[in-house]
Amino acid sequence: MSLLGRVLGQNQDPDRQRHQAEQLARNQAWETALTNQTLPDFVKQRLADTKSGKLPWVSTGSVGALLSQRSHGIHPLGMVSGNCWYHYGYSWTRGHYDGWHTAIDRMQHEATLMGANAVVDVKMSATRMEGTGEDQMDYAVLGTAVRIAGLATPRVPVIATVSALEFARLMESGILPVGLAIGAHYNWHYSYRNAAGQGSWWNQELRELSDFMTDVRRAALSQLATDAARMGTGVLARVQFSELLRGEPLEQDPRQRFLGRHIAFGTAVLHEPRRHISLGLRPVFSVSDGKMTPVMPTEKEII
Amino acid sequence: MADETSSQANPALAGLPKHALERLQGLREAGQSGGIFTSDLSVNEFLMVREAGFEPLGLVVGSCIYHVGIQYGSWGQNQELNVISQAMYQARELAMTRMEQEALTLMADGVVGVRLEVKRLGWDSDILEFMAIGTAIAHSAGHPGFKGPKGMPFTSDLSGQDFWMLLRAGHRPLAMVMGSCVYHVAHQGVFKAMGNVGRNVEITQFTQAMYDARELAMERMQNEAKESGADGVVGVQLHEGSHNWQPHVIEFFAVGTAVKPIEDKALIPEPASPQIVIPVND
Repeated sequence: MSLLGRVLGQNQDPDRQRHQAEQLARNQAWETALTNQTLPDFVKQRLADTKSGKLPWVSTGSVGALLSQRSHGIHPLGMVSGNCWYHYGYSWTRGHYDGWHTAIDRMQHEATLMGANAVVDVKMSATRMEGTGEDQMDYAVLGTAVRIAGLATPRVPVIATVSALEFARLMESGILPVGLAIGAHYNWHYSYRNAAGQGSWWNQELRELSDFMTDVRRAALSQLATDAARMGTGVLARVQFSELLRGEPLEQDPRQRFLGRHIAFGTAVLHEPRRHISLGLRPVFSVSDGKMTPVMPTEKEII
Repeated sequence: MADETSSQANPALAGLPKHALERLQGLREAGQSGGIFTSDLSVNEFLMVREAGFEPLGLVVGSCIYHVGIQYGSWGQNQELNVISQAMYQARELAMTRMEQEALTLMADGVVGVRLEVKRLGWDSDILEFMAIGTAIAHSAGHPGFKGPKGMPFTSDLSGQDFWMLLRAGHRPLAMVMGSCVYHVAHQGVFKAMGNVGRNVEITQFTQAMYDARELAMERMQNEAKESGADGVVGVQLHEGSHNWQPHVIEFFAVGTAVKPIEDKALIPEPASPQIVIPVND
């Protein structure tokens, strides 16, 4: 049989045809679901079966996290996820805000369908794929939906970037992680003057650029606070990304152009300020091989 | 109410405030309408800052974009490049001061977890961007005994955990202190270098240069601590680096937190002696 014949023959194979039809139906279901901001029926079914116990529960947490099931009544339901492949037409910075929030909303929707109180252990990942262009990427979140014994089912579960064990410890001290807050701001600065101090021999602060970056950062952090305020009473923003770039001058415009941007990611928390439950902490000194600072530096450091 | 029934069913929920329990059950959609704090603390740091009796107020930032002047060292001479030293110091100082100003407007007692970052801007190797970022905190009960020098907020690069331990040790932070020295290490003469071929020998000239540069950086930091009225400096780190300068130019940067004993005896927490543990899971 010729190569062409084999290819055609395969296409006429009933198994293959059925597979093709199934894939087409699946594609169609995803498209409809994403347009209507819901999920395909087969996903809904799996979530419902996981919720009812027909399917086994699934957890991204460690074995240690399972301890919190008996101690704190935190029961894993299933793995939930959401993603958003986003093309940034006018702003990479804003893309981060929109892309992550869309992905989280989708994950939250999955958790809602399972009747979860919270999604814990939420991990974020960004994917760029070769051949798709520089101006787009995928924002994805993955976590574990959990039920907390003794609580009613909420309409929308809270999103926690911490593990189940940390979630339990935070609960003990009266703190509830509630969501992911993002502040992302960019701006262009145009200058007639020699803002970048080119050709200068002297020490000098570039005050114009310092002030510009200060404004950009303040705007980003103010957006972070606003974003967090819809969810909680505070935000723990460990991740701060900041960048100042010089743009090519525009045609017909002699001014220098600078692009400044700042993105902050944080865990929004709900707590009661000035009310503190002591954890009764005791400092310990770990003699674990992994974490202990060696008495001698490593070979690499000294040779 | 919901919190009573739920904490009976699950004692682990007893610690959560009412609004948190409501949120978990979807009875409340949004957060508090009042103020909100921002911070760059990790979850554990947040716990420890509160454990120490403080509340985070806001994330504070200071920026400084600086054009570093041009200075060349003489080929064969060990010498400090004082123009560049001054630039590195002044720019950091400006970033720190602006961060402190932000903390002052928040009426903070101090700033913890300060990170001081230096970045070279892509388009010009003479321009450096300095950013100081930290979390402004205030004593929960509003005690005035934790302020830094001259009633300004204290600054510290200590983590939340370290801050808690420092108070337990009976000390309080005053100011983040630093010293910088950019040094040109002399080139060796050709004859001198040839003379060393095949011999194991110390190059005293280079030893001296490294020694002197480090000494200058440490001296400056220590003097700064003295001026702030400190008893000591804790957690000192000495960084060696080059921000894409010409060869043979190196910066020594010493940074640490100046501390002094807590004056008000009533504020000193119970001492805590660390227990030695062997973790079994790593």
